Amino acid sequence: MEETPLIRLVDASKVYHLESGDFVALNHLNLEIHDGEFVAIMGPSGSGKSTLMNLLGMLDVPTTGKVFIAGKNMADISSLERTHMRRDVIGYIFQKFYLIPLLSAYENVEYPLILKYKKRDATGKAAAVLRSVGFDEALAAHRPAQLSGGQQQRVAIARALVNDPKILLCDEPTGNLDRKTGFAIMDIICEMNRKGKTVILVTHDPKIARCAQRTIQLEDGRIVEA
Amino acid sequence: MRDIFFELSVRSVRLNFLRSLLASIGIVIGVVAISSMGMLGTNMQLSVKAQLSSDVNTVIITSDTVRTTSINGVPSSQTGIDKSELNDIISAAGTNTVIPLHHTNTQFTIGSTDGRGAIWGIAPNDIPKFLTVAQGDNVRGLNDCLVGSAIADNFNLAIGTRIKLGQPGTADRPSVRTSGILASRGFPSDGVFTDNAIIVPDLYYTNQYGDLNVYDQVNVILNNVDSLSDVEAAIDERVNRNTQLVRISDASSRIASITQTLSTITTFILAIGGISLVVAAVSIFNVMMMSVNERVQEIGILLSIGTEKGEVRRMFLYEAFILGIIGAIVGGVMSLIIGYSVVSAMIGSTEYFFLPESIIFVPYGMIIGVVVCIASGLYPAWKASNMDPIDALRSE
Repeated sequence: MEETPLIRLVDASKVYHLESGDFVALNHLNLEIHDGEFVAIMGPSGSGKSTLMNLLGMLDVPTTGKVFIAGKNMADISSLERTHMRRDVIGYIFQKFYLIPLLSAYENVEYPLILKYKKRDATGKAAAVLRSVGFDEALAAHRPAQLSGGQQQRVAIARALVNDPKILLCDEPTGNLDRKTGFAIMDIICEMNRKGKTVILVTHDPKIARCAQRTIQLEDGRIVEA
Repeated sequence: MRDIFFELSVRSVRLNFLRSLLASIGIVIGVVAISSMGMLGTNMQLSVKAQLSSDVNTVIITSDTVRTTSINGVPSSQTGIDKSELNDIISAAGTNTVIPLHHTNTQFTIGSTDGRGAIWGIAPNDIPKFLTVAQGDNVRGLNDCLVGSAIADNFNLAIGTRIKLGQPGTADRPSVRTSGILASRGFPSDGVFTDNAIIVPDLYYTNQYGDLNVYDQVNVILNNVDSLSDVEAAIDERVNRNTQLVRISDASSRIASITQTLSTITTFILAIGGISLVVAAVSIFNVMMMSVNERVQEIGILLSIGTEKGEVRRMFLYEAFILGIIGAIVGGVMSLIIGYSVVSAMIGSTEYFFLPESIIFVPYGMIIGVVVCIASGLYPAWKASNMDPIDALRSE
């Protein structure tokens, strides 16, 4: 029996209605990603990478077609259920880190646990995950503005991992980092994939994309090479 | 351990401390205005009520008709209780004390200073039955008078001082000699306001102002307050048997009427105090909208990593609540200080200040302040929670 894909897009399109006319960001896209896969998404600006990531991250729904994530059709579930899936199933790593500025590094990692369990973390899991991504514990009480880019991205990865999600969505995670730190971050992401996480990575860098098992090339909202 | 959303709100308030402080000052002013005004009105009511209640054993009878008469062929109208009605009242009152009173207003001159006040004509032997002479003696001769405490204080009056009555500059103004100064009566429920008045013998009054055998008011002082309604009914039966000639009232109806008026005034000044809270609400709304607009990207982050809309709403409502609770606590403390000073200055007594019906305005003001703050935060919180996370993340 064939395994059900973790992510499945069926004829999914996304059209933005602009004053200048309709803009088709994704055009009848069909895609399957299986549990444990590492997929890189590449393509020029405006090719639809961000729109695709928004659909996969459950931040948006397609104009037509269907998006299934962990067996659920995004169109059939409520906004609150999508929020809970974003919290429990998806770990999002952004290019600009997007840490919560008013919280310390430790609290940023603890935050998804609080969202899920409605209480502060007493198990030490947040600290353990921070350690696992190579973050210096002495900096745990620092606010994001007091950390370097590499340290911020480690915190962001720890935050994405802390609720043990099935899927890691990485939107150019090395884009704001120097080369050395970028490779260190990629090592962590590859390690997570080896440990069983499904990783979907958007990148412009072919060297980074080579870490993936499969590369999807997008152009004008279509998959031109997979 | 504190709720993470409450913690975020506290940190946001700390981050924008000056702005938050200024917004809270608006709430402080609103709470102080409402609490102080409420306490002032209530203390005024309680004070007046206490003074009126001391004369609760008096029935007040005033004329309810206008008589048309002719003076030197010129038609004239007057109100008053005539001799026949007075006899009926005396008859109906039985053994209770009946005091007929003449009353008008006059100008007077003490030394070289002019003044204006009430003048009462009362039989000398009736005066001690309900008025207290604080200094000097009761009137003895026809040209003696008693002076109210306010006139005595204002004119620094000494016993024996002569007071000229009538319009200043008029030739042959009559004068009376001060034989005594009355104790202050405040707002008496028997309708005889003497603090700013001169009391002369009834014969002197009718010699000067006419109205012999016509009285402006008749008071019946009861031996037993429990007989109030019986005496009122008897007078009504006797005097008003054919036509409504006199109006009969007592302290309870006057207390009700005056406290109702004071209550209306209190409500009005509370409403004025409320205006400052409306201004504060606009300020809080403005601060909350600024907070939302400055934190759009943060809101986008929260929503994109799985924060529920209700949790984002809660975070901003906590922020409004913190501003409100700070304003309410400071406002509550200041209300006690300012309210005490205002009541002391305006009423002259703070004996009712700490009674529950007065002090309750402090928690009322505080609760209203907090509720106004939370209400002001509703729209900004709703706006924050309904942001599109994609657009919010893109904002810089």
